[in-house]
Parts: sequence; C-alpha cells; structure tokens
Amino acid sequence: MTDTRTNQDWLHDLNASGALQEAAIAELRDLLLRAALYFFSRNLGDFRGLNRDEVMQRAEDCAQDALIAVMDHLADFRGDSKFTTWAYKFSINMALMAARRERWKGVSLDELASSGESNFLEPAIQDHSERGAPEQSAMQGEVRKIIRDVIKHELTDKQQHVISMMVFNEVPLDEVVRHLGTNRNAVYKMLHDARRKIKGSLQARGFEVGEMLSLFGASR
Amino acid sequence: MKSDRFERWLQNIYTTQDEEISCSECFDAVSHFVEVELSGADAMVRMPKVKQHLDQCPACQQEYETLRDLGRLENEGGVPSADDLQDLIP
Repeated sequence: MTDTRTNQDWLHDLNASGALQEAAIAELRDLLLRAALYFFSRNLGDFRGLNRDEVMQRAEDCAQDALIAVMDHLADFRGDSKFTTWAYKFSINMALMAARRERWKGVSLDELASSGESNFLEPAIQDHSERGAPEQSAMQGEVRKIIRDVIKHELTDKQQHVISMMVFNEVPLDEVVRHLGTNRNAVYKMLHDARRKIKGSLQARGFEVGEMLSLFGASR
Repeated sequence: MKSDRFERWLQNIYTTQDEEISCSECFDAVSHFVEVELSGADAMVRMPKVKQHLDQCPACQQEYETLRDLGRLENEGGVPSADDLQDLIP
C-alpha cells in the first residue's frame, strides 16, 4: 500500500469522525506496525528466545501504543516533514524500548553497576596494551589518571553510577532510564554534565582532547 | 574497557558542547532532520544541534537511522507490508 494522503488529508481524516476517521486510523495503525516490525527485523538478536507469535505481539503492542501517542500529539505536528515520517518516530521509539527491554530482561543492573563501580576506576580504562613509544605510553597513562580522578572525585555518585552502566557496561539508555525510574532527558543531562567536567579537567591540565584521540589512535 | 569503546568515549568527550539539546528536543526535530536529509540538503549544516545530539546519544541515533531508512523506502515506493516484514522473523 503506497501512502497517497497528503499531510492535510491525514490531519483532516484523523480529526474527523465516523468511517472517515476509522479508515484513517486503520491505515495509520498499519503503517505504525510496519515501522515497529521493520525495527524488530533489524534487531532480531534482541528477541532470542521468543517465537514469531511473541515477537508479533510485541510489535502489535508497539503499534497500538504508538497510535495512542500519535493521536495525543496530533496538535504538535508542525508540517515540517511528511506526516508519516513524523508518525513513524513514535513507533520506532516504542520498538526500540521494547527491544532493549527484551534483551536486558533478567539482568540485574544493580549488580552490574556495583561490580562495574568496584573496578571501573582501575582496569576499565587501562586495558590498552602500551604499544606506543615510552613517552606516548606515559601520556596515555596520565590521561587515564585524569579521567579516573575526575570520575572519582568530581562526579556525583549518581553520575558515577550512570557512567558505570552506560559507558563501561554498555547498558542502553532506556534500560538505565527504567532502572532509575527517570526519563531520557535526565540521564542524558547527567552524562552531558560528566563529559563537560572531564573535558574541562583535561583541558585545564593542558590536554586538548583532539590531540588525545590521535595519541590513543596512534597506539594501534 | 575495550580500546575502541574508550576511543569512542574520548571522541564523545572531545565533541561535548556547553549547550546540548535534550533527547526530547531531538525527538521533536528528528523527523524534520530526516526530511531535510532526504531532500538532498545538508541536514548537518542546517540542524547542527540535532546532529551533535545524535552523535552523542546512541538511542536517538538508532531511532534516527531507522526513521531515515523508512523515509527512503517510502520515497522508493513504500515500506514493505506487515506480512512481508513478518516473514523476516524466524
């Protein structure tokens, strides 16, 4: 089915009543289901252990939740993209959260984070084998020490917790959000503040981070 | 921590800006960003804050990439049907 409705058609029909609205909603729901299934089909590894019916049910749930979100936000559509592109993002967002939730179910983030916190200040930043020249290795070591010190002494416990999960254990953002009972914006801000502090400390000690990238990249 | 992940994180630190848009602001703008990109214009130049956020945020980046690919499929004739996509699920 190729979408032939204009943006104005979509808004008109979704805001209408009766059969006109029902048809538009049915078409929109189908598109949202396709978006969720498209995301799932590219992330099948997140659904190991589920059969096709169970995956389909997850996709149907995402499409339904996305449909509700789209209808709730219709007034926010500014027309700066195709309506379908705007609507797809709600379904993709639901699908990504569902996929991550499936992949990480049964994993104790508390245990993961605490084990990370007990060691990330030491080996996590140190596993580069020192293959460069002695001077280069010394500089690499100094950079790592600065980063360790900033994490340990200048970041809050919560920032350390988030960095341990996301940076050192690669826990996805939405799982951290769920674990902390907060939202993406709050976690992103914590990471942003931490990055700013580390960047500032490195620059204050004379390290331009761009030089450091070549410093570490050159060691391989 | 693997070296490539450490370097990626250093890159994130290096490209940190004093002001960055939030995930919600990125979500609001990403469909426009995709539309600009699909039109052939340079979305990175026209919407640098969105681009900067996408570079920092793997979740938003993955959503953006999926949205862009769906947009391309639409422009090329349509997103595959639900039945066709279901067949890709083992």
